[in-house]
Amino acid sequence: MIPLSYYLVLSAILFTIGVVGVLVRRNAIMIFMAIELMLNAVNLSFVAIGKHLDSLDGQVFVFFVMAVAAAEVAVGLAIIVNLSRNKETINVDEINIMKW
Amino acid sequence: MTLFFFLLIAIVTVISAILVIVLRNPIHSALSLVLTFFSIAGLYILLNAQFIAAIQVIVYAGAIMVLFLFVIMLLNLEKEKRVSEKHPLQKAFGVSIALFLLGGIGSIVATGVLYGNMGTETAAKVSAVGNTKAIAGLLFTDWVLPFEITSILLIAAIVGAIVLTKKEL
Amino acid sequence: MPSDYFPVFVFLLIAVGFPVMIIALSSIVGPRKPSPEKLMPYECGVDPIGSARKRLSVKFYIVAMLFVVFDIEAIFLYPWAVIFKDLGVFGVVEMGLFIVILFVGLIYAWKKGVLEWE
Repeated sequence: MIPLSYYLVLSAILFTIGVVGVLVRRNAIMIFMAIELMLNAVNLSFVAIGKHLDSLDGQVFVFFVMAVAAAEVAVGLAIIVNLSRNKETINVDEINIMKW
Repeated sequence: MTLFFFLLIAIVTVISAILVIVLRNPIHSALSLVLTFFSIAGLYILLNAQFIAAIQVIVYAGAIMVLFLFVIMLLNLEKEKRVSEKHPLQKAFGVSIALFLLGGIGSIVATGVLYGNMGTETAAKVSAVGNTKAIAGLLFTDWVLPFEITSILLIAAIVGAIVLTKKEL
Repeated sequence: MPSDYFPVFVFLLIAVGFPVMIIALSSIVGPRKPSPEKLMPYECGVDPIGSARKRLSVKFYIVAMLFVVFDIEAIFLYPWAVIFKDLGVFGVVEMGLFIVILFVGLIYAWKKGVLEWE
């Protein structure tokens, strides 16, 4: 029997790695992968807390998170494909036409 | 014994997650992200969530990562060049903010202020009917509205991606 | 029970360990005398021109995107199939609604010519 806090700490570490990825990497696809990592960390804590509280709601919620992740990836990667067509770069530092 | 497996899988997860953000070739980091997803599926099995583990492999490691690899090949990304940093302190700031966040979450976990109402689906009850059936019983009765809204989200994703990528509509 | 999955773990161990061992052995034991002839992809035939990595067409992306969306539909169908009998008519109606809404998306993709390859 593993205590809940172990899972929560692991999930916090994974989430932090995702945050570091988003803040440090400049490639739009790498930022997306880091966001997937963060979503997975949250899913892990959902399931762990659900088990701790004798409830299945956490597992049901993981379904919806996965559906949101799939929709997000489908649209987000389409935006990245369009970006690289129009600007020839996916470096987020060089994409600043909406900034003034 | 369970603790040994937990630590083993946790170490693999953390190392492969670090590799995802450290490796410079996007294909390598995508493959290491697949390894992360597989080991998280292993953690779900340790948590007695077998069905979630299966769909984790099917959806994340199977479908979403295929999409990522397709786009990486579509854009023909070479190894990221070490461009001169526009913001030299960005990395240091990013890492320190993230570590601050980790400290915050860690202190909340350590002080043990997380609590909630106990549910009714105990492990024995769930394993009597089976994990998949227990989840299905909740998903298609209590959670039926979010379930139907998911279909609208998915159709929005289809339409959005087609409009964005198709040249002549 | 997690202990039921111990054979899967052993399977993974063997599936990872065996190729690693074979590759390591062949790189340690095997002789290595590279020459320009040997390093070519095809020793006889036409010499390769250009890089092997070409930009793929964006059509592949749209098909992969449709696959992901209908994969999500499929993972909702698995638990529904398990509990289908207990739900009765209600289950048929709710899943029918779900599938019809997604079918509209499929028709949209069809009408926009995504499924044609030409």
